[in-house]
Amino acid sequence: MRPVLLGAMSPESLMEELQASPSRALAARRLSELGMPTRKSEAYRYFEIDPLMEHDWDVLPVAPTGEIEETQRRIVITDGVVTALPADVEVQVGCSDAIDLDGAHFDPLYYLGHLMSREVISLRFRKDTRVTIVHRYTRPAKLLAYRTAIYVDANVHVQIAERYEGEGACGALILSGHDAFVSRDATLTLVKDQTLRIGDYTPIFSHRIKVDSQASCCLHSFDFGAGSGLQLIKAELHEHARIDADHLLYAKDHARRGTVSQIVHIGQSSLSNQRAKNILAEKARGIFDALIKVEHTGKYTKAHQNSKAILLNDGAYMASKPQLEIYIDDLEASHGSTTGQLDEAQLFYLRSRGIARDEARKMLILAFANELIDALEDEVLREELHRSFEEAYWGVTSVTCMETCHGCEDLAAESAAK
Amino acid sequence: MSTVVMDIDNLHARIGGKEILKGLNLQLEEGKVHAIMGPNGAGKSTLSKAITGHYDIEVLNGEIRYKGQNIVDWEPEDRALEGIFLSFQNPVEIPGVNNAYFLRTAVNAKRKHLGLPELNAAEFLREMKKLVAELGMKPEMISRSLNEGFSGGEKKRNEILQMMMLQPDVIILDEIDSGLDIDALRAVSEGINKMKDGKRSFLVITHYSRILDYIEPDYIHVLKDGKIIKTAGPELVAELEEKGYGAIEEA
Repeated sequence: MRPVLLGAMSPESLMEELQASPSRALAARRLSELGMPTRKSEAYRYFEIDPLMEHDWDVLPVAPTGEIEETQRRIVITDGVVTALPADVEVQVGCSDAIDLDGAHFDPLYYLGHLMSREVISLRFRKDTRVTIVHRYTRPAKLLAYRTAIYVDANVHVQIAERYEGEGACGALILSGHDAFVSRDATLTLVKDQTLRIGDYTPIFSHRIKVDSQASCCLHSFDFGAGSGLQLIKAELHEHARIDADHLLYAKDHARRGTVSQIVHIGQSSLSNQRAKNILAEKARGIFDALIKVEHTGKYTKAHQNSKAILLNDGAYMASKPQLEIYIDDLEASHGSTTGQLDEAQLFYLRSRGIARDEARKMLILAFANELIDALEDEVLREELHRSFEEAYWGVTSVTCMETCHGCEDLAAESAAK
Repeated sequence: MSTVVMDIDNLHARIGGKEILKGLNLQLEEGKVHAIMGPNGAGKSTLSKAITGHYDIEVLNGEIRYKGQNIVDWEPEDRALEGIFLSFQNPVEIPGVNNAYFLRTAVNAKRKHLGLPELNAAEFLREMKKLVAELGMKPEMISRSLNEGFSGGEKKRNEILQMMMLQPDVIILDEIDSGLDIDALRAVSEGINKMKDGKRSFLVITHYSRILDYIEPDYIHVLKDGKIIKTAGPELVAELEEKGYGAIEEA
């Protein structure tokens, strides 16, 4: 299948070509309206999408769900199929055909993903819980499309940690993402470690997040990967809803990675706070193309957006485009973007204390990244991400508890008492 | 005369194309406190930067011989490991770098350089906490980001804490008294005086004589227009206070 050819098709032809379920008619109509993305598309302007769209892909059929392993708090999705689930009854997982699609998503691949996914993996959370979702890709050079839906019921607080394993998926294109529905007074914390450690697949994660009245969503995405990859996020905030979105990117070599997002304030007194930190080495390109839109109905909104980038080499490049689109007067909003190099004065200060240049650079880069890693409330995840970042940046980890917590103080106190 | 630990000979240095040090000569003796005084723009801070290898400084001519070697081309970290310490006039804030982690890295780099075993976290924190208490610093300074949000006095105390942990041989105090209230000045001075051991040398850079009431100098050097124009004993302070720098002429 060559995705580029789908761009010129009518909704009916798309449905037929992709053998989509009748419930996906909206997706077909929207994809037909938007067309397939090209390098001229706003959302993909800084990302080399053309070769991916023109490639003749062998589509990986998502196999029917087979035997499911029972786990503690881990959901494993292998090549789009649930292969492990927690025994815990707090989480309901099942494939569902019916899903409330976003009729105003900006990303055509959100709709293509839905058209290609016969069934959506549906996770409903009825009680407070913490789970890990492992996405595992094993098939090289295929196009894999699958979608997940996350439902957090009213007054429920959920933390989902996600990670991706793609050792066997060299050359694959993954079209995936969540449709997340956070009900009234609920909280969803989504911690995504999108690091591509081994392998070379291209993930395009297209998400839709609906945050209901007085609900909140904390989205923390960490991407210390190589190769190309993009996450596209559309979030809508209703009355008194809140989203805190942090994105930490470290990219090197010829990587092209980043975030394209739209946060739409629909309800009044809603709040968004989006922070991006990007560390780019060698010839890497980082992308932060983010729009915050405040609708006429979004009175008393607070919307803040900031992107900071450090370029470690002359060849590194940051495409940063924070934007505000506001249709009311009564609000508080800010946005900003900085791109620069490591601070010479800070570097000198560390070196003047006997710390070698490379070690000093490492400390400053870790410090830059730490702000977003330390924002995680879950200490275990925080430790994991500190380690993950060090491994990506440094090749090995030397993270000690002193860098990330203060447990050593108790240890010191104990030794002093002895 | 005592052993000379640092011998600065005919040092010419510039910052951004402007020559600031114009043939400066200075000898620091082992175990002595040398005070450098001089008007604004004389080159006092430039001298401290030249000694520590600051990136702004371009040495045009002359030598800085330290422990018998010319260190003009040395990296800043090598100078520090060999025992040169600068207490900054305005220490930079480094958000995200934990104060304890930073200092332990520095202490262990020094210990490694000296062939000593590295300190583990508990050993290090025990020592650090003791000194934090001695300096009257708040215990939470240990786990805060390096200098971030510190008051002027807290920054200076943190500089002295680093000095005490690193145990350097030559200590340059660049306007250590600026921005300090009386209590902080006393605490900082006590910390410095504790470091005097008859071997360690001090170079105290200051505008005012106030700090010299607490740290008694052995020599006073007057720096003006990029050169040391007069060197004398502590009695020179009173003369400077009375007549000002304008009255001091090159010998």
